[in-house]
Amino acid sequence: MQTKLLSEFYHLEEFCGLAGYKKNGGYKVLEKAFKMKPQEIIDEVKNSGLRGRGGAGFSTGMKWSFLPKNNEPRYLLCNADEGEPGTFKDRLMMERAPHQLIEGMIISAFAIGSEKSYIYIRGEYNEPIRILEKALKEAREAGLLGKNILGSGFNHEMDLYVGAGAYICGEETGMISSLEGKKGQPKLKPPFPAVQGYLRKPTIVNNVETLAAVKYIIRDGAAAYRKYGTEKSAGTKLFSLSGNVRKPGNYEVNLGISLLDFIEQEGGGMKPGRKLKAVIPGGSSAPVLTAAEVAQAKLDYESLAGMGTMLGSGAVIVIDDSQCMVDMLGVLTHFYHHESCGQCTPCREGTGWLNKIVFSILEGKGRLQDLDLLLKVADQMKGRTICALSDAAALPVISFVSKFRDEFEYFVREGKSKVRGELHAQMHH
Amino acid sequence: MSIVQNTGEKKNWYLPGILTGMGITMKHMLTNLMNRKKMPTLNYPEEKHEYGPRFKGNHVLTVKKDGTLRCTACMLCATNCPADCIKIVASESIDPEVEKFPIHYEIDILRCVFCGFCEEACPVDAIRLGPEWQTPGLNGANFNYDIEHLAHRPQLKGGILTHVDDKERHKAGI
Amino acid sequence: MPKCTINGRSIEVKEGTTIMEAFYQQDASIAHYCYHPGLSIAGVCRLCIVDIEGNPRPQIACNTKIMEGMKITNQSAGIKEGVKWVLDFHLINHPLDCPICDQAGECGLQEQYMEYGKYSPEMAERKVKKRKVVDLGPTVVLDSERCILCARCTRFTEEVTKTEELGLFNRGDRTEVGCVEGKQLDNKYSLNTVDICPVGALTSKDFRFRQRVWYLKDADTICTGCSTGCNVKTYFNKEGFFRVKPVYNEKVNGHWMCDEGRDIYKFVNLEHRQLKASIRTGSETFETSAGDATKKFSSFLKQLKSSETAVVLTGQYTVEEYQALVKSLKKSAGHFFHWNQNEVTEKAFDGLLLRGDKNPNTAGLRQVLEENKVGSDWKELETGLKDKKIKTLIVAGPENKTVFLDLANKLTLFSQAENLVWLSAAKLDQAVSGPKNFWHIPLKTFVEKSGTFVNAKGLAQKFSKVTTVLSEALTLSDVAALLTGDEALMVAEAKSEIAEAKIPLLADLHKRPDQVELERRKKNEFLYKRGAL
Repeated sequence: MQTKLLSEFYHLEEFCGLAGYKKNGGYKVLEKAFKMKPQEIIDEVKNSGLRGRGGAGFSTGMKWSFLPKNNEPRYLLCNADEGEPGTFKDRLMMERAPHQLIEGMIISAFAIGSEKSYIYIRGEYNEPIRILEKALKEAREAGLLGKNILGSGFNHEMDLYVGAGAYICGEETGMISSLEGKKGQPKLKPPFPAVQGYLRKPTIVNNVETLAAVKYIIRDGAAAYRKYGTEKSAGTKLFSLSGNVRKPGNYEVNLGISLLDFIEQEGGGMKPGRKLKAVIPGGSSAPVLTAAEVAQAKLDYESLAGMGTMLGSGAVIVIDDSQCMVDMLGVLTHFYHHESCGQCTPCREGTGWLNKIVFSILEGKGRLQDLDLLLKVADQMKGRTICALSDAAALPVISFVSKFRDEFEYFVREGKSKVRGELHAQMHH
Repeated sequence: MSIVQNTGEKKNWYLPGILTGMGITMKHMLTNLMNRKKMPTLNYPEEKHEYGPRFKGNHVLTVKKDGTLRCTACMLCATNCPADCIKIVASESIDPEVEKFPIHYEIDILRCVFCGFCEEACPVDAIRLGPEWQTPGLNGANFNYDIEHLAHRPQLKGGILTHVDDKERHKAGI
Repeated sequence: MPKCTINGRSIEVKEGTTIMEAFYQQDASIAHYCYHPGLSIAGVCRLCIVDIEGNPRPQIACNTKIMEGMKITNQSAGIKEGVKWVLDFHLINHPLDCPICDQAGECGLQEQYMEYGKYSPEMAERKVKKRKVVDLGPTVVLDSERCILCARCTRFTEEVTKTEELGLFNRGDRTEVGCVEGKQLDNKYSLNTVDICPVGALTSKDFRFRQRVWYLKDADTICTGCSTGCNVKTYFNKEGFFRVKPVYNEKVNGHWMCDEGRDIYKFVNLEHRQLKASIRTGSETFETSAGDATKKFSSFLKQLKSSETAVVLTGQYTVEEYQALVKSLKKSAGHFFHWNQNEVTEKAFDGLLLRGDKNPNTAGLRQVLEENKVGSDWKELETGLKDKKIKTLIVAGPENKTVFLDLANKLTLFSQAENLVWLSAAKLDQAVSGPKNFWHIPLKTFVEKSGTFVNAKGLAQKFSKVTTVLSEALTLSDVAALLTGDEALMVAEAKSEIAEAKIPLLADLHKRPDQVELERRKKNEFLYKRGAL
C-alpha cells in the first residue's frame, strides 16, 4: 500500500529548484500556515500523531509543547546528520526536494516562535550540501527567508551547518555540542534541549522527514494525515530498503504495512535461489529479526517494539542465507567501536571490548565462553550511559548472538564460518 | 614404635652392648675409609656444601638482557620486609619503557632474617634469594649490600637473567 | 524540603539536593569517580548508579535531583552487579602498573575495587596502548594509559582556573587527555589536577617517585605561603616532609590550593634548618643548644636599657607566640616593629586564593601589637639604628626565606645594631658580621607547634602540632619564657584572647572528603601494620 505524500514529485527534476517547486504547489502551505496561530499549528501536529522519524519515534507535537512559555530566543535544528548504517532517506529528500524541507522548517519555526534555525548536515553529503545551499540562496532571494516573510511579520533566518562526519553528532545533544563548536559529545539530561539546548536556549531538534511531514499535516489537516498508517503510528514514512533484495532503494509506504509484503512488493523479493534469513528493520541499532519473526512483523512503531526491536530510522536491511552472521556482527561492532564518543565508561570501553571479542572469534581464536561474555558485556552496557549509542551497540550483539547462536558456536568450534566455510575475509586491522 | 623393655637377667650384661656399639662404629669407619666419596661430613672450610637453587641464601638482584636492573623500585619488598632492612631510593629513567628504577638499593644483611618475603612480594622477579649462604667478613667489612654487590658480584658471573621481560610483556599486549 | 528514603532510611533534604549530596550527608557509601563537589557534573563514569523505585532504569546519583517521596537504594543486587561491571569497564584498558604508579595506596581504582569490585576479570583481549610519561608542563606528568577519562582535570582548568589548557582528544577508547595545541599546563593552580585525579594519570613532578604513599603519615595544618590561610594536609615520615595537599574548608579555600603553597614543606626539613644555636661575641664563635643560648642572652638582656632595645616581628608566627613575646619583653624592650616584607603588594589578590601578603599571620600580629599598645613606625628603626639610639635588636625572622625577597637588605640594616638576636628556623646563607654580638637561636616551624593564625579576611584558625622535626628548637613562647623565667609562658597554647574565642580545631571542620576512602586508610592502618601486608 503505497501513498505518495512526501515523495509525490521526487521523480521531477524541476522539483529541486524554487520555480519547479512552486509550480507543483510549493510554499502554498506556508501561506496557509501564516494565517493560523502558532498554537493552532502545534495542536494540529499534536493531533496528527506525527512521531519523530529520526529513530526514537517521540511525538513531535509533544516535544514542541515542552518549550517554556516565555519570550526567550529559541532555536530550531534540523537533524540531517544521517549516520545510521542502512539509512539514506534524508539524502534523497534533500537532493530531490530541498524546498520541501525548507518550507516545513519555516512552518515549524513559526509554530514554535523561533527566528533562527540550522540544518546540521552530515559532512559526507556533498551533493545534498550543494543542493541545499543553492535552495537556501533561492529562498533568501525570494524573500522566503529573512525579515517579514510573505508579509506575515515573521522573521526567520536559516543556515546550513556541515558536520565532520561523526555518527554521535546525529544524537540531538551531541549535535548541539558540535554546533556550539565543542567536541561532539552528548550532554547530560536533564536539562532537556527543549528547556536548555543550543547556547543554553530552548531548542527543538527534529529529523528532516519529520519537518517535511509537517507541511503535509498543515496542508491536509491532522485528520487527513491520520488516515494513513495505524492508530498509534500515523502517516506515511520513507523506508530505506537495502541488503540482499532485488530492488534496494527508498520507498514511501503507509505505516503498518507487513514487513514481508514490503520486501516482496517494493523490493521485488529476494534474489533468485536465495532464502530470507534475517531482517534488521530499523537501522543497524535495531535488534535483528529472524525469518520466522519477519513473517509476522508489521512496519509500525508498536508492533516492532512488541517484537523486541524498533522501527528506528526506517532502514530495512535484508539478509539472505549467503551471509555469515558473525561476519555481519563484526561490521556492526567495528562501527560502534569507531563511533563511540568516549565520554561514558561503559560505552567507551564496552564497544571496544565487544569488538575485540567478535574479532577474536572471526580470527579463529574464539572461546565458547566468549559468547556468554558478549551477552553479559552487552547487557551491562544497556541503559547505562548518557545517550543511546551504548544501547545501539549492545542490542544488535544481544540479538545476533542469542538468535543465531548456532552460527557463532560453529565458528568458535570449527574456526570457520558455517555459511562461507572460511575465516573472516576483510580484516580491519 | 613400641618400646621393648628388657626385664630379664640379660639387662645386667653390659659387654655385648658395648661390643655391638663398637662394631657399628668400626663398620662406619671402615666403609668411610674404603669409600671416601660416600662420607657424609665435609672438610669445611676447604670443602663447601652446594645447596639447591631454591635455598634462601644471599640476595640477588636480577638483570635484564641489556644488563640493567630488573627492579622497578616499587618498594614492595621494603614494605613487606619484617626486619625493615631494605632501603631503596627511586628515580626517573630516561627510557619511558622503564619509567622508574632504583638508583640506590641497599640490604642491611645483618638485620636480614632470610625469610624470603622480599622475593614473594616482588611482582617482577627482580629479587631472589640464592644458594649462597656465607656472609662472613672481617672487621670493618661492609654488611650493607649495595646494587654493585647484589647484582654484579663476581660469583654471579655477570648477573642472573630475569624471567619477566617488559618488552615481551608489552608485545603480548599486557 | 522534599522527603525521601535512602537505603531504607527516610530523610529530609533541601530543595535541589542531588542524590549524591544526600548520600554524602547521610555518610552512606556510594561509588564514583567523575563527581567532584567543587566541579560541574559530568556524569560520565556511570559508577554512582542507584535504583529509584518506579524507575525502570538505574539513574546516576550525581545528576538526579531528589523529588518528594523518592525511594533510593544502591544496595540492590542489580546495582551492586552493575557497579562491579562499570568498575570492570574502567579497568579493562588500565595498565595495572600499580608497582611503579605513585598513586598506588591512595588510588580510586584500588580503593573502589576493594570496596565495590572484587570480581574476577574476564577480559582476555589486548589492552589499548596510549602515551606514557607525557610532559604536560612544569609541574605535571601524564600517563594516558592509566587515565579513566573522568574529565575532572579538564573541568578544573575550564571552570576553576579558566585557563583551559587541558582537553580530551580523540574518540572512543582512543580518547586521551592532553594539552591544547601550543599550550602547556602552566598555571598557578596546576597541581590541583593531580589531587583530583582519582588515578595515577596525573602525577606531580615534585613528588614523583620520592616516597610510596603508604610510608607517609598525614596531619592537618594551615598553609603559611600567604595570608589566605588555606587548610592543608601535610605528609611526612621520619625522613621529613614530602608534600602538601589542600583540605576542604568552605570558608577559606574551598577544595583548592595554589602551587606556591605546596612548596611550604621544603623549609621545614632539616637540610634547610638551623640545627644549633650559634653565639658570636666579638670574634669568638661557638655553638650551643637553643635553650642555653637563650638563657645566656636573658642574663645579657638584664644589663640593657629598655629604650635601646627593640623587637622586630614578622608575620610568620602564631598569635600565641606574639602574645607571649610581646608581654614578656614589654618592660625590657622599648620598641616593637612590624617587618612587612611586601608592603606594596600586600593587598594584591588574584581572585581565587593567592594573596600578595606572603605571611600567614600579618593580621594576627597587628592585632596583638594594637592590643598591647606597642608598635612603632619602621622609620624609627632605621633612624634609631643610624643614630645608634637602638643598640640591641631581637628579630623574629622569617622561617620561609623564599618569600622574603628583602632578606639580604634587611640583614644589612639590622647589622648596624650592636647586639643582634636572630630568631629563626631557617639557616642563614650569609655571614652576619656587622654587630658586635650575634645570637642565632633556632626556632620551630609551623608544623612543630600549635597555635592560631588570623588570615587576610580576619578569620582566626586554630591548628595543632603535626610532628617534631628538630626537638631542641624553640617556639617564640619558649623564648619568651626563658627570657623572663616565667614558666607559664612555656606552654605552647599560651593564653590569648583570640585563641580563647572557642575556635574549633581544623580537624573538626573537615567532614567532606572528595574521594571515597577506605575505612582502614582513614585510620592510617597501613602505617602501623608495615610488614604485615
